[in-house]
Amino acid sequence: MNEPLKPDDIDAVIHERVRLSIVSALAVSPELSFNELKSMLGLTDGNLSAHSRTLEEAGYIVVDKTFQGRRPLTTMRLTAKGRKAFDRYLKSLRQIIERGTGEKG
Amino acid sequence: MNLKVDEAQARMEEIQRIMERATLFTLLPGTPAILGGLMVLAGCAVSYGMFRSLDFGDIVNVSVNQQVLFCLMWLAIGVVGIVMEVAWTTAAAKKQQLGPSDRPLRVAAFSLTPSVFVAVVLTAKFLLPVDARVWQMISTLKIVPLMPTAQEIQYIVPVWMMLYGTGVYTAGLFSIRPPRVLGLTFIAMGAIALLCVPQYGVLTAALSFGLLHIVFGVYILRHQRRVAR
Repeated sequence: MNEPLKPDDIDAVIHERVRLSIVSALAVSPELSFNELKSMLGLTDGNLSAHSRTLEEAGYIVVDKTFQGRRPLTTMRLTAKGRKAFDRYLKSLRQIIERGTGEKG
Repeated sequence: MNLKVDEAQARMEEIQRIMERATLFTLLPGTPAILGGLMVLAGCAVSYGMFRSLDFGDIVNVSVNQQVLFCLMWLAIGVVGIVMEVAWTTAAAKKQQLGPSDRPLRVAAFSLTPSVFVAVVLTAKFLLPVDARVWQMISTLKIVPLMPTAQEIQYIVPVWMMLYGTGVYTAGLFSIRPPRVLGLTFIAMGAIALLCVPQYGVLTAALSFGLLHIVFGVYILRHQRRVAR
């Protein structure tokens, strides 16, 4: 029953574990700062920077760099394209689970 | 890309966990924290006016009527504060289509309830010291005043600070850093208040439950407003 299933439109950009965490957090928050995401997901600066860049290049998130007083503030939010990709990814997971449950039954 | 059913299920659970954690942050009640803080500051000012001292232990030196008024005032501040937090959080959760039994709200409630319960029990114990004096009353059949000592009263604020801090810290474990920082600050301030300055309860209550709550509330509101723009 644990046979690998056929491709179900699994998006490789979102599928990576850290990037999936970033997108999941942004899916329920209109915007999160770099430090909030880092703390929430238990990531290092380098790790979060690298993966957020990949998501930004894919057009899934927007990274804004501003200043809060004198301190730099980096915030991220999900784009419409990113939300669509996340919804599609969730749909694919559900399909895989439903199909697996059907086979078991 | 091939994906096994088990892996898909694990991914779904992981997504759910992260979304709950992120949701908790947006549910943090900023406005009630500020209003609660202001109420505590007002309560501290009234207490200072009553005792002309920064020591809650001086309640033993005022009339019974004033003692009753003092207890009712702080009880009202506590009840109104809790009702405001619950109402605000529930309304925020409703906006996000979350019900009272959904995990983020249960996490917040279950994290805070045990420590608040312990604080209530300890407060009752400090205010109504059922000890040797009760046995003295029974054995001699004479009414003995059960007024607590000034020292017992002094313990109440630091105990609330530490236990409230513990609850907030625990709730923060499932969210992001600000609640954890608030919880740890309360614990540290409570420990210092208990060990070093228990006689300055009015001041430590004003600084922690008053000022610290206001600072926290302003921080949360500023963040949430920036996010909502």
